[in-house]
Amino acid sequence: MKNLQALQLRVQQAVMASSAASPPELAGDAIADARSRLAIYRHGYRARLREALGNEFPTLASLSGKRFPALLDRYIDACPSEHYNLRWHGAGLAAFLRYALPWRERPAYAEAAELDWAISTCFDAADEPAIDAMALAGIAPEHWAGLRLLPQRHLQWLELRSNVDAFRTAADQAAARPHLRQRATPRRLLVWRQDLSVRYRAVGPAESALLEAATRGEPFAMLCEIAAGHAPPGHAVARLAGMLRDWVEAGLIRALQPDER
Amino acid sequence: MNTVDPRLERPPCLGYGLGLRVEHYQELLDQPQGVDWLEIVSENYMVPGGLPLVWLERFRARFPLVMHGVSLSIGGTDPLDEGYLARLDALARRVEPAWVSDHLCWTGVQGVNLHDLMPLPYTEEALDHVAARVRQVQDRLRRRILLENVSSYIRYADAQLEEWEFLAEVARRADCLILLDINNVYVSASNHGFDPLRYLDGVPAERVQQFHLAGHERGEALIVDTHDAPVPSPVWELYRAAVRRYGAVSTMIERDDHMPPLSELVAELEHARRLAEPLLQAAA
Repeated sequence: MKNLQALQLRVQQAVMASSAASPPELAGDAIADARSRLAIYRHGYRARLREALGNEFPTLASLSGKRFPALLDRYIDACPSEHYNLRWHGAGLAAFLRYALPWRERPAYAEAAELDWAISTCFDAADEPAIDAMALAGIAPEHWAGLRLLPQRHLQWLELRSNVDAFRTAADQAAARPHLRQRATPRRLLVWRQDLSVRYRAVGPAESALLEAATRGEPFAMLCEIAAGHAPPGHAVARLAGMLRDWVEAGLIRALQPDER
Repeated sequence: MNTVDPRLERPPCLGYGLGLRVEHYQELLDQPQGVDWLEIVSENYMVPGGLPLVWLERFRARFPLVMHGVSLSIGGTDPLDEGYLARLDALARRVEPAWVSDHLCWTGVQGVNLHDLMPLPYTEEALDHVAARVRQVQDRLRRRILLENVSSYIRYADAQLEEWEFLAEVARRADCLILLDINNVYVSASNHGFDPLRYLDGVPAERVQQFHLAGHERGEALIVDTHDAPVPSPVWELYRAAVRRYGAVSTMIERDDHMPPLSELVAELEHARRLAEPLLQAAA
């Protein structure tokens, strides 16, 4: 086993290497030399990872343009795939772009990768039910204060300083690439799956705070207090009701949990 | 010691099938004629939920399915990935496939996955190692698995056995079945200069459970197994030779790139049927 292990490691290193050298354990013959034979695996390795990443990161591809292939090569060299599913090689790309030069100087690249990856992971996240308006209508008035709204577990928030979501929308619709715009303060983008379709939209500070509180398991009474802090006097309940209606229509709430006390 | 349930019999011949690919999802459900069964790539459905599993259920209701993996790394020297096996087992319980297959290869070491089907050195050391791991996987999945011969481009200097001898001996020692890729036999024969009929003669007929048929690309010196073209004439010829040797074996067209309309693949499948059926009737 030790020989086999050492052999596999040397062949693997040769497949992943940028140089065309072949380890001595590999032989050539009259048909082809060892180097040409190994080259098929070396080419295939990089081509497969590039193709898979290209499929998973359309926002980043659009944003980075002609720099995209070089960016992928650097990532492939720095972070080999460790997952049985080729698609999951992209899990570390956003983090890589946040620290690796020169891309960390273009923070929109990491944001683009983060958005693409959030969409990708929502796509086949675990299935959960979503409540409808009838479920809310059945709650007795005295039970609302202690009621907990449970958002979908796969829901993700992104903090974006750039308009990478516009790049994703354009890429999905095969539309013209927009201009990159940067904001002084970040805005929050919500990514989730409704039935089988992945959706994303910007959320304001009030809605963001309320959804986060719901995710933490805060009761409805606490949501009302948070809403009051974000609305003019007398408007909080109406705003919260409007948001709640939107959340239910968008399939964001998976269950209602009554107060157990 | 083989601890696979001895009551498990060899699965039946399913006829003529296709590899299930996203491009043909809806068309296959609308027009399933001519396709007897489907092979799914296991890893594509080892996911928590969402659209892939919805489609899978639709196909499960309409076709016999078999599962074909690419990341088992049965010849690898890292420990078998229990997380992977657990997900594979869970998928098999869900799909209830006629069988589960993967490749006689390694896919990476020290945690890396090359996402390629790397050939093994055909040595006694590798033989012992692989046969033991196949038994381990079969015990874990409580079923015999099929192992597929891969296309190979590299040659190991210290090989002690021919590829077909290695495949046959792994199958015998581990009591597993064989998915014989006819195109891969042709590609490897061409790349390594052996007679593909010698390969067929060396494989035990009673263990051959499935055939793959596919196209390839001819390079300057080597042929590359690309799955991006129709099955070429020499592979059809080899298929006829395989049917003569092994009899009725579930046959499948494998296409992964330059995906043609479904009707073209069904026509290729029909061609396989027209080649095989007279040979099977003559042998009956």
